[in-house]
Amino acid sequence: MGTTASQLGKDLLSEYQELTFLTKQEILLAHKRYTELLLKEDLAKDLSSIRVPMAKILTLPELKSNPFRQRICRVFSTSGLNDGSLSFEDFLDLLSAFSDSATMEIKSHYAFRIFDFDDDGTLDSSDLRNLVNCLTGETNDTRLTNEEMRQLIKNILEESDIDKDGTVNLSEFQHVISRSPDFVSSFKIVL
Amino acid sequence: QNLVKELVDMSTRERIHAIRDLPMSFEEKKSISAVVDTDHIRHQKTLLLESTHGCLCSIRRSQTLRRWGYSVRSARQTLQLWQGTMKEIGGRFGTSVLTYFMFLKWLLVFNVVSFLINFGFITIPLLVHDHTPNLPPNVNFRGLEILTGAGYFNYTVMYYGSYSNETLVGLGEYNLQLAYFFTISLYMVLCGVALIFSMAKSFKENYVLSDPASSSAWQILCSWDFSIVNERAITQRKNNLSVQLKESLSEGAQTEMLTRSEKMKHFGIHLGSWLLSTSLAFGCGSGIYFLCQYEQQVPWTPLQEAETLLVPFVVSLMNLVVPLFYSLFNKFEVYSNQRKQIYVLLVRNVILKISILSILCYYWMQVVAKKFSCWESMVGQALYRLVLFDFLFLMLGSFFGEFLRNLIGRKLLPNLGVPEFDVARNVFELIYAQTLVWIGIYFSPLLPVIQILKCFIFFYVKKVSLAQNCQPPRRTGRAAQMQTILIALLFFPSFVGALSIVAYTAWSLTPSKQCGPFRGLNNTFGAVGIWIDNLQQSSSSYWVIWIYHHVIRSEVFYFFLALIVIIIIYIFWQVTQGRKQLIVQLRQQIVNEGKDKSFLLDKLQKLQKSNQYAQKHPNKVCLE
Repeated sequence: MGTTASQLGKDLLSEYQELTFLTKQEILLAHKRYTELLLKEDLAKDLSSIRVPMAKILTLPELKSNPFRQRICRVFSTSGLNDGSLSFEDFLDLLSAFSDSATMEIKSHYAFRIFDFDDDGTLDSSDLRNLVNCLTGETNDTRLTNEEMRQLIKNILEESDIDKDGTVNLSEFQHVISRSPDFVSSFKIVL
Repeated sequence: QNLVKELVDMSTRERIHAIRDLPMSFEEKKSISAVVDTDHIRHQKTLLLESTHGCLCSIRRSQTLRRWGYSVRSARQTLQLWQGTMKEIGGRFGTSVLTYFMFLKWLLVFNVVSFLINFGFITIPLLVHDHTPNLPPNVNFRGLEILTGAGYFNYTVMYYGSYSNETLVGLGEYNLQLAYFFTISLYMVLCGVALIFSMAKSFKENYVLSDPASSSAWQILCSWDFSIVNERAITQRKNNLSVQLKESLSEGAQTEMLTRSEKMKHFGIHLGSWLLSTSLAFGCGSGIYFLCQYEQQVPWTPLQEAETLLVPFVVSLMNLVVPLFYSLFNKFEVYSNQRKQIYVLLVRNVILKISILSILCYYWMQVVAKKFSCWESMVGQALYRLVLFDFLFLMLGSFFGEFLRNLIGRKLLPNLGVPEFDVARNVFELIYAQTLVWIGIYFSPLLPVIQILKCFIFFYVKKVSLAQNCQPPRRTGRAAQMQTILIALLFFPSFVGALSIVAYTAWSLTPSKQCGPFRGLNNTFGAVGIWIDNLQQSSSSYWVIWIYHHVIRSEVFYFFLALIVIIIIYIFWQVTQGRKQLIVQLRQQIVNEGKDKSFLLDKLQKLQKSNQYAQKHPNKVCLE
């Protein structure tokens, strides 16, 4: 039932439409951009067996400068090697979670996984430290000092850790997100 | 699995939505969907063994319906206006600037709809019936009409004055008087309903109990805008965020209270700027009033046509210049948080615009209505001039405010910096323009056309200005909350004010005797009275007459309606209070559960340790 990488069958298209939040246009555009990333010899192969390595995915202009680009690839990748390579269906998953019509639950779920740098299911101080460093830039004068970082993490945990266990779990994260209605419109990547 | 069982029981549509909502990878979703489908079909088949044919048909029918729904959605997306441009703007400047352009697009669509309603029901019948404007002799089209709106335009369907009050007989009877009245009132009611719904939706989604933007958790966890794609913009955002974090951390560290004298000083500055701004607003209002009086007293010369341009010129100039003074006052004042600063600025601007508009309306209602013969057309012309000059001055303001400041900021005074795109001020000006159109609909039904052209041209001008001149806003503002406030502004002072002015005109003022669809009546509402009388005589539809007399004209009905609405509001308010208390209690419960959990974990660890100790040293076991 596979199609070659250069065309998309009608059944497959409607299946994609049912299982993701994307419209037909968006799926076709995603297909076009995905096949542009493939090498020449991959174009004749079956679409479901191809995986594009992370380095190539990160050449897309929408992801190129995003501070969380590697985490995004790692979270949506279903490859067993944990190398961040994406198949076409992973790519569609990514676009669906970041699309306009995705629900708040899906977005907050994936945001939590993206921010969870050590993949242990909670945001502890090391995750938060990594997060702040991603957001504030790499140069020396924009980085926060250790003292400031400690104070900031203490503030964050004070405000969002409801059960006071020192980490932010998924429900606490979703509670913080639910109080911010801008999140749904800013957690968006459109091709 | 429980999940599969749940999904099998749902209807097809719910099932699709539920599977789509699962936060799993695509392959897992596909496998779940396949399992559920086979289960579902088996389930159906065992239930409807005798009518398998019908069962398969219904499955196929629902599938084709769904596919049709998808293609409609895709088609709607392609027809969206300016889709590519919006994406570009969002990619460079973020979502808060994008809300301005989305608001502009919404306003454009809104005005197109109002134009279609008014044109369709009022203008087209008149044009079909009699399309030559009855010009008096020696009035030709001169170029000046586009600016003043008088002269040639006066006799076209642009203004109230040239609509007749006859009943047009063509394919059927079309009472133009009633059509005018009912179209305008229906349009106002539709606007009101649309605004109330979008305001309520906005409040429901965006209302937050506390101000989250000052909290660090919000800044770190929720504020990053993933839709920004431009590398320079991202670096800038990162720098801004870092600066903001350092500021807020250092503020938190300084826990010094302001001394009493400093508090008094701040209070004095606040009081002073409030007094100054309100007196400026009232001064502008009275200046406009005296200007109108002066314009009246000058004898009629050919030059006076150009002199009618004086009032709109001065009004637009004030609207452009005085807010700059307000921003200047704002710089001297000290506010505890940024939100209050924006609100104070907005309130002052609202006071200014309300005072100017109310003086103008008072002048029109009280003085013009009594003096001139075809006064509605004169008011319509004045509004046309105001709308036009507002447009010209906004273009000029964009040129001076953004282009020149960009030049100055880049070449001459680099300290000043490149200007930021001030979303609140720009949206506010759009709201003011829309208020003028709403007031003017009664007097000049084709005014939405001008607003449509304005919105269209504005989109491209602002887009170019944004791309060339401005930088992204420095503070990542809460766009959603700002949007709620602005929609509430659109509804409350703007629409309600316009509605009350039109209602006052329709109810109390005498229409002019020689022109317009309501000539000869005591007031506009009298047209409905005459119609009801006619209906009574022909005795055909009793229920309309009954509704008119007992519902619309009786005060008791409105009294009871108001009472019921107040009671319902009170009940909902109490429910909200109860829920707030419940939230506090639940939070406390979660904290207690957390403490319980850590206490039990500690105890478990101690128990395990003592067990291990007892196992290793069985001799040394003592009383436990």
